[in-house]
Amino acid sequence: MTQLAMTGLYKAFGSLPVLTGVDLEVPAGSLTAILGPSGSGKTTLLRVLAGFERADGGTVTIGGTVADGPGVHVAPERRRIGYVPQEGSLFPHLSVAGNVGFGLPPRERRGRRTAELLESVGLGGLGKRYPHQLSGGQQQRVALARALAIQPAVVLLDEPFASLDAHLRASVRADVQQIFRQAGTTAVLVTHDQDEALSTADRVAVLRDGKIAQCAAPQDLYARPVDADLASFIGDANLLTGVLGAGVVQTILGSLPVDPGGTAVPPPGPVTVLIRPEQVELQAADGSRPADMGGPHGPAAAAGPRCLAGRVISYGYHGHDAVVYVQPERDTGGRAIIVRTLGGRDLPPGSPVTLRAHGPVLAWSRKS
Amino acid sequence: MAAPPALATPGPLQQQPPATGAPAARKARLPAALIAASAAVAAVLALPLVFLLIEAHGAGTSTVAGLVFRGLTRELLWNTIRLTFVVTVLCAVIGTAAAWCVERTALPGRRVWAVLVVVPLAIPDFVVSFGWVSLWPWVQGFRGAVVVMTLAVYPLVYLPVAASLRAADPGQEEVARSLGTGRVRTFFRITLRQARGAILGGCLLVALVLLAEYGAFEILGYQTFTTEIFTEFNSFSLTSACALSLVLVLLSLIVLAGEGRLRGKGRVSRSGALAARQLSPHQLGRATIPVLAGFALLIMAALGVPVGASIYWIFEGGTHSLDGISLPGAAWQTALYGVGAAAIDTAAAFPVALLAVRYPGRARNLLERSTYLVLAMPGVVTAFALSYFTERYADSFLYQSTPLLILCYSIMFFPLALVGVKASLARAPVSLDEVARSLGQSKLAVLRRVTLRLTGPGLVAAFCLVFLSVVTELTATLLLIPTGAATLATQFWVYEQNVSYGQAAPFALAMIAVAAVPSYVLGRFFDRSAHAQR
Ligand SMILES: Nc1ncnc2c1ncn2[C@@H]1O[C@H](COP(=O)(O)OP(=O)(O)OP(=O)(O)O)[C@@H](O)[C@H]1O
Ligand SMILES: [Mg+2]
Repeated sequence: MTQLAMTGLYKAFGSLPVLTGVDLEVPAGSLTAILGPSGSGKTTLLRVLAGFERADGGTVTIGGTVADGPGVHVAPERRRIGYVPQEGSLFPHLSVAGNVGFGLPPRERRGRRTAELLESVGLGGLGKRYPHQLSGGQQQRVALARALAIQPAVVLLDEPFASLDAHLRASVRADVQQIFRQAGTTAVLVTHDQDEALSTADRVAVLRDGKIAQCAAPQDLYARPVDADLASFIGDANLLTGVLGAGVVQTILGSLPVDPGGTAVPPPGPVTVLIRPEQVELQAADGSRPADMGGPHGPAAAAGPRCLAGRVISYGYHGHDAVVYVQPERDTGGRAIIVRTLGGRDLPPGSPVTLRAHGPVLAWSRKS
Repeated sequence: MAAPPALATPGPLQQQPPATGAPAARKARLPAALIAASAAVAAVLALPLVFLLIEAHGAGTSTVAGLVFRGLTRELLWNTIRLTFVVTVLCAVIGTAAAWCVERTALPGRRVWAVLVVVPLAIPDFVVSFGWVSLWPWVQGFRGAVVVMTLAVYPLVYLPVAASLRAADPGQEEVARSLGTGRVRTFFRITLRQARGAILGGCLLVALVLLAEYGAFEILGYQTFTTEIFTEFNSFSLTSACALSLVLVLLSLIVLAGEGRLRGKGRVSRSGALAARQLSPHQLGRATIPVLAGFALLIMAALGVPVGASIYWIFEGGTHSLDGISLPGAAWQTALYGVGAAAIDTAAAFPVALLAVRYPGRARNLLERSTYLVLAMPGVVTAFALSYFTERYADSFLYQSTPLLILCYSIMFFPLALVGVKASLARAPVSLDEVARSLGQSKLAVLRRVTLRLTGPGLVAAFCLVFLSVVTELTATLLLIPTGAATLATQFWVYEQNVSYGQAAPFALAMIAVAAVPSYVLGRFFDRSAHAQR
């Protein structure tokens, strides 16, 4: 069931269009992330949903009733939307309990409900403190509890983890995820961090040029982006040129199978091919022997992946893994190939290596 | 004193930095009611100037020109300008030096000095003048005016400079030193530059106060535009008073514009977050004793003399010869006027401030800034314009009436209220209102439970500012007060002018007492909010 739906949302500030036709459906009980670069209009979209801004066109439907549309504009206080703004925005003059109970009817404000909510976000016993006596992560949780208190139809979170340090971010994120799962809350979370979107949400919608470019489960979005730009926005990507034949594509890494489940396989001809860094295997070549240029089956083998010799440009060590930039010895239009390997090997710049790719890959027709 | 401490800190003409990143700029629909209310306020504030121009026009251009271009004007110009210049420079030096010593050096007893140095601001200028002249009658003329006015108004420079030194990035001085700049050069190249805007703002206030001052100069026998306008008005040379008023307003406008130009040239910004770290204070070494002596002398002269003189005259004032309104009676009357004007100003400043803070935009900023034009209207001119006009056209019901006096106060002190209300609104960001709305609260409930709760202290501060200014106002009150009524200031004035010092002294002490404690509290409030806004 759809809890929140937007159709053709349009919003401009003066002559600057920010949203140019947003279509998105948010299923009940899901955690949907809206992912977009800074300035893409994520906050604007949330503010339209919460009713602080009025859309110039299109409709917003919350729980089956139209909240914003031609001739309709439901006031923010009647939407039952829990809004957690970018800055947290706790009321500085109220205690933590006062903040959490703010939206409750007067009699319930001091009661058990507030304590329960604080308990549920892991802040039991801190009700008497004031916002300035809390850490950044605690403040975020209070803001969340405050939004949940009114049993909202949808919770909107605007970059809730951006102000937290990397360590705290992971733990608060996991907590939030669990709180939402337990309560079956429908939530929309806005972020510019792909990692965060992919790891936190059930569904990720990419906001680009004022529209939703794609909305899918994280795995699908990563594995089957609708176009090459999106592919490189969602994680690292090697975009190579290739020629598409029947079910296989020819690239400098040999011929690779094309993902049949991919979005509409393009007609044969010149294509752009997506190979994710973890699809490339890297082997240190023995410096004394020239790298095997022909691949395992000799020069004639056109039907499989092929080894490609190159030299390391840079080696970025991340502990659990490493990202290596390799300049192929044969020309590929000057572009380095990105490889993700397990960490631990030491490959100084200039080391000779060989690369080998594993299919299946995605391909899109190359324009012109 | 006409201008209480708070005006000093945020600086009325200082352009507010655009609200960065805050969703303050987001509201798309323009609130028509807010604009209408602000425009109405601006229109009322412009009334005295409009009246003045109508009167000048009515008198005929050649008559006015004749009155402007005569020997008297030249003499008054010379008197006014040289005094304004000398006192402003002295205040800049004393105020800045004192602020630097208190904020940046290891001066013994810094915290105590910090309080004592500000207190003279609470003493009305004419009381300082009274203190000196009543004890030492030879304190007269230009030199007397320089001494008295410097002592009375230097805190207007001290307060903003101290606040800006406290808030300034302490790292910059250290970086300059590490780059090989000496102590003295660092002071001139870094520290003074950091405080530049604050010094200029303080000097502007000093100059405006000097242009508007009446009582102190009258006691000192020093003639300026303001005293002359007063005299001409009382001797019914109304056209002449009108012509002189035009020149005085022009002078004030020049001061305002000059300050704007100077300020525009250098903007000091602070990079990075507000550091909690304090600079390690400069050691004064062998200079400690002379500096301490300097502070003691300053406090004695600015605080000790007027308070001491008042106490002295209570005991030595001799027989109480004159009849007049009793101290409680005058205090009650003063409080009524003060509460009336303060309530009107706080309410009137709210829409203007709300528009400026939450819906910034060119035209709206202009509207807000136009209200500061009032600063260029010395109290004597505002009172004169209002009284002349009402006498002519609304004689029966407005002339020398309580409503007119309160209107005059409200116009004069509006900029103070605006500064206070704006500072308080900065503490209540729109995002909090929005969150409250999304939590199911109606607009009215949000106003009650969030906006007013957060702005409350600031609104009270704005109210107090206006109230205190009314308590110590003399010039306009003398011109407009209804017959038979008296405020603390006017009753003091009557006794003082009749050399009944023993009767005048309790009124002086009452004004000091009413103003001293709250103005200290106010100073702290604006200091804190200046920090909070950063
Ligand atoms: N009230 C406004 N008036 C004019 N332009 C605005 C207004 N609010 C936002 N914008 C513009 O709309 C665009 C989108 O802004 P928005 O705040 O929605 O971006 P965002 O995706 O949330 O960015 P970030 O990730 O940095 O928070 C920006 O170009 C911004 O400058
Ligand atoms: Mg944003």
